[in-house]
Amino acid sequence: MVNELLVENLTVLYDGLTALENVSFTLDSPFFTVVMGPNGAGKTTLLKTILGLVKPASGNIRVYGLNVFKENKKIKHLAGYIPQVININLHIPMTVKEVVGMGALSKTFPPRILDKKTEEEVERTLRLVELENYSEKEFKTLSGGERQRVLIARALIKKPRLLLLDEPFSMLDFDIKCDIANLLVKLHREMNVDVLLVAHEISPCISFEPEVILLNKKVYAVGRAADVLRLDILRKAYPGVTELPQGFIIGEDHA
Amino acid sequence: MLEFFILSYSVASLSGLLVGSVSNILSTSRSITFGLTMLHAILGGSLLGVYLNLIFNLDLPIPLISTLVAICLSIMVGELVEKGFSEDMSIAFTVSIATTMTIVFGYLSSQISSIALARAWSYIAGTSAISTFQDLLKLAITLFIVLPITHLFFREFKYIAFDEDGSKALGLNIRVYRYMFYSLAAISASVLSSTIGVLATHVVLSVPGFLILKFSKRLSIAFTYLSSVSIMILGYYLASLLSIPPSGGVGLVSIIAVLGVVVYGRRY
Repeated sequence: MVNELLVENLTVLYDGLTALENVSFTLDSPFFTVVMGPNGAGKTTLLKTILGLVKPASGNIRVYGLNVFKENKKIKHLAGYIPQVININLHIPMTVKEVVGMGALSKTFPPRILDKKTEEEVERTLRLVELENYSEKEFKTLSGGERQRVLIARALIKKPRLLLLDEPFSMLDFDIKCDIANLLVKLHREMNVDVLLVAHEISPCISFEPEVILLNKKVYAVGRAADVLRLDILRKAYPGVTELPQGFIIGEDHA
Repeated sequence: MLEFFILSYSVASLSGLLVGSVSNILSTSRSITFGLTMLHAILGGSLLGVYLNLIFNLDLPIPLISTLVAICLSIMVGELVEKGFSEDMSIAFTVSIATTMTIVFGYLSSQISSIALARAWSYIAGTSAISTFQDLLKLAITLFIVLPITHLFFREFKYIAFDEDGSKALGLNIRVYRYMFYSLAAISASVLSSTIGVLATHVVLSVPGFLILKFSKRLSIAFTYLSSVSIMILGYYLASLLSIPPSGGVGLVSIIAVLGVVVYGRRY
């Protein structure tokens, strides 16, 4: 199996408007990559297209050699997707066990009943994300960081090779952001999971210094954070970048 | 008298079970406004049925025509949502089609027969005070179809309502589940409409789901059925006390239940 994530000349249109334009990059496994860019840059669209949830106007995506659009079922088994918590309907009463269990049950057929074996697997995965004894708790009663961990557990229970995370640090305190970042780095190192995450900032991951893709509809730079996060490059992707004596501000986030 | 009593309360109980089987999914998936499409479609469909029977001298079962129209318009909502329209806009569009059908076929039918509109109105308001064996049979057959399917796929329906993007990424075919649920809801609403009337069905479909979201932490299926069957039986009982059609009794009990929840919610 080819050990890379390849995105080639990808263009995505929404109602005639360009969401992504001629995006190309290659990530060699193992990778821990942060896609950065301003609001509306097409970051979420990129993740969804890699998963095959959005159909591009043109271009090619290969995940470990598999064509995303022709071998989509295999991709969905290989990749775990963690959506933005804000898109989850908290009015639906769901226990942690149900949320994580669905990750495992998605490989089975209806009625997808949580049997003893799956419940044990749920417990094991929850231990992995440091949420022991949480299985009976209501998802909506958890803190932002705990919810994020539950969603990571749901993806992990499928034993994915690739984790795709959509803004896992949004609306979290800095300490919690660091906890989540450390957890992802641990999973990356100990379980050999490739990580591609979308974020407005990389500060929580700074101790690891990931690879960065700077995106604003087009790819402006790909490389080590120290090489990419330079004012002259950031100015191209973030039109509103503000320079200060202590550094610079991109939107509401500090870099 | 005893036979009438047993028949009425059997119809009430089966109607309650049917309401319960679709209500909480309808409520939790925030598809209550979708109920508008369904019920307007049933109205439009029933008047289309009345018109077709009149003009071609047929004896088509009105519930069948209204169910087919409801399924078609429900699927149209699903398709429009898939094409990127907001759910509200899609519902407004299909409701306008259904309303146009109601007006046009209502007018055309009234031009041909003086009793056509009265017949359609009895379908809308559920004015029949007498439950028949046919009603019971119709409900039993519908339950036999709807109940196992909603339970077989309950986890998926609930999960899609909880996290649609996540469900897609897990490989669930959202479109298939959406159409399946819309069709089940349309069949249930159509059969309920022919027993308790379109208007009462509109009210009662959302109430058990609403009660669950307010009171039940675990989206308990037992609680759904308990509340929906209770509303129907109490509604029938109230109707017999007040000498009004069952639809009126069911509507009154539903309103009392919702008001009770609102008052309770303000106090606690």
